[in-house]
Amino acid sequence: MALGKHSQAMHFQARAGEKIRNPVLQAALQKARPLFVGKRVKGIASLAEDALDFEQLRTAAKNIRNRTLADLDVWLDIFEARATASGAEVLWARDGAEVSRLVVDIARRHGVTKVAKSKSMLSEEAHLNEALAEAGIRPVETDLGEYIVQLAGETPSHIIAPAVHKTIAEVEALFAKEHGRPLETRTSADIPAMAREARAVLRQHFLSAEMGISGANFLIAETGSAALVTNEGNGRMVTTLPKIHVVITGIEKIVPTLEDLATLMRLLPRSATGQSISNYVSLLTGTKRKGDQDGPEKTVFILVDNGRANLLGSDYQDMLRCIRCGACMNHCPVYFSLGGHAYGWVYPGPMGSVLTPLYTGLENALDLPHASTGCNQCGSVCPVAIPLPDLMHRLREEQHERGLRPWSERLALKAWAWIAGKPALYRWLARRVVRYLNWLADGSGRIRILGLAPAWTAGRDLPVSSSRTFHELYSARKKP
Amino acid sequence: MSARDEILGRVRQGIGKADFAVRRAAAVAALNSPMRGPQPSMKADLVARFRAKAEYLSNTVAAVPGLDKAPAAVAAYLAASGLSGEAVATADVASLAWASAGLQVEARPAVDADKTGISSCFCAIAETGTLMLLSGPDSPATVSLLPETHIALLEVSRIVATMEDAFALLRAERGSLPRAVNFISGPSRTGDIEQTIVLGAHGPCRVHLILIGELS
Repeated sequence: MALGKHSQAMHFQARAGEKIRNPVLQAALQKARPLFVGKRVKGIASLAEDALDFEQLRTAAKNIRNRTLADLDVWLDIFEARATASGAEVLWARDGAEVSRLVVDIARRHGVTKVAKSKSMLSEEAHLNEALAEAGIRPVETDLGEYIVQLAGETPSHIIAPAVHKTIAEVEALFAKEHGRPLETRTSADIPAMAREARAVLRQHFLSAEMGISGANFLIAETGSAALVTNEGNGRMVTTLPKIHVVITGIEKIVPTLEDLATLMRLLPRSATGQSISNYVSLLTGTKRKGDQDGPEKTVFILVDNGRANLLGSDYQDMLRCIRCGACMNHCPVYFSLGGHAYGWVYPGPMGSVLTPLYTGLENALDLPHASTGCNQCGSVCPVAIPLPDLMHRLREEQHERGLRPWSERLALKAWAWIAGKPALYRWLARRVVRYLNWLADGSGRIRILGLAPAWTAGRDLPVSSSRTFHELYSARKKP
Repeated sequence: MSARDEILGRVRQGIGKADFAVRRAAAVAALNSPMRGPQPSMKADLVARFRAKAEYLSNTVAAVPGLDKAPAAVAAYLAASGLSGEAVATADVASLAWASAGLQVEARPAVDADKTGISSCFCAIAETGTLMLLSGPDSPATVSLLPETHIALLEVSRIVATMEDAFALLRAERGSLPRAVNFISGPSRTGDIEQTIVLGAHGPCRVHLILIGELS
């Protein structure tokens, strides 16, 4: 399947081991985690200042998204009609390959040699940068984090902080090489100077690119507009300066009205970065108007399916509510142990553990639905109340139903079911197992190496259970 | 089958509904009476609230009693910040007496070399301290984007409570959306290197607001 082509999700366990043993990555992650969590706490707390309630707001947001999804064909049709009426062109793409074909085709027809890109996760799904480069067109990522990741030849490890896995020393090495200057020793006091250096380089790209590509945080059906939320201003640059603007976005990103956008904007930045509002929220409608002295002459929307429509009416439809804030990964103990690259595809963290199997094939991402401690921090912070752990459980069930789990696991479950159906045998066996585990612990209270499943104790000890089975304890207690 | 028909077909199959025309008509009708979500109840008066939030967002703020006093306030800010008196401005504020304040102001879209851009605002939002700018022949979007310093002139009577109120004003006064509506909340920023916030990413490094009108 073409979708699974670039996915590394099947190598999750091997990559997880690598990531845990990488001290540079671990340092970067441990530095970022409290910042992400703390900023959101502050952002959500600020709602109380105006007597707004998070639960009430997220119910409203959930309802907006559900209402849209319930009649998605209608909202897409209205969006298309209104966007077209305002002077934009609307194209549709079944999958990532079709996105790349459409973009390369537009670029070729208009003699484009360089594309300035604002962050678009969907273009990562489509591997658009590779397709552009193959066609001899230079894609330049302009979000600072994306720029760093592009220089490193990597992919984003976080959907809103793409370079969260990079330390300042790594960024300095990339800048020195790309910007043709000697390497310097950098401390956090130099970060403003480094950002300024990138600003100067990227400014020239904004001014010379013939095409700008952005995603859209939302599409507004009422007005046929794209809503673009950024802090750096690169979103404004790529949608204002180049003569062509291409918006690439998923079909699920629609909301009906501007009022709906306003509600979602009380939650999106707070959930993502803790800000009450992001620096720039732009509503882009049509092209340069009569008399306008700046703005693109051509605006093209590419509405992409790439697996989304299949989720409608399925057990996983709730996932389509996602507004890509990143709060689930920011609060995930698994994400912060491994970073985003371990997940092997575009979306990391809990939302990725649900989306990757759904978009690239359950059989191509067997471990991801298990990359969870079941703590539900993701579900409790999600601004559109997606029950992420439930969806991961459902994926695990489906793996089992489709016979995708390893033979050893299936055999073990079958054996357990057989034994559990025979109480006498079960009690006899349980007594033996408990005695065996206590013998292994040898009075220390912990098991250092579990004989039958050594992988469990490779990086930790297993606390030992009581020396008697539940049945034995229960019978003993019943006697007066 | 075209990609459009195939995707919409799949969507329709997923949601399991027929009667497209009836549902579309109902949706279009619903667009005519948009519903608001939970609304904030703000304590301070709108101007005070706007100013406090704008300052929190790292804008600097000055106030003058009338539009005719704006050029002097802009000149004072530029001088105090050690910035030159040359600026590009949106055409809708170009007729102010900039020259008498010692400034050289040109009305045109901004270019890379421009250091300061002076713009009007369509309105502003007290809830978050946000400016709302509309692109148009007299208000090119580049003026608030390319220069390192953006100075915005804002009539205090144009401060509304929420983004919803700003949209209501837009619908009432303009009817339709311009090419670009830009909500601006302070100088551009990035946290992409080690989560350290830096002001001045790709857009302006400084945003200075001149509030115009009687302050309560």
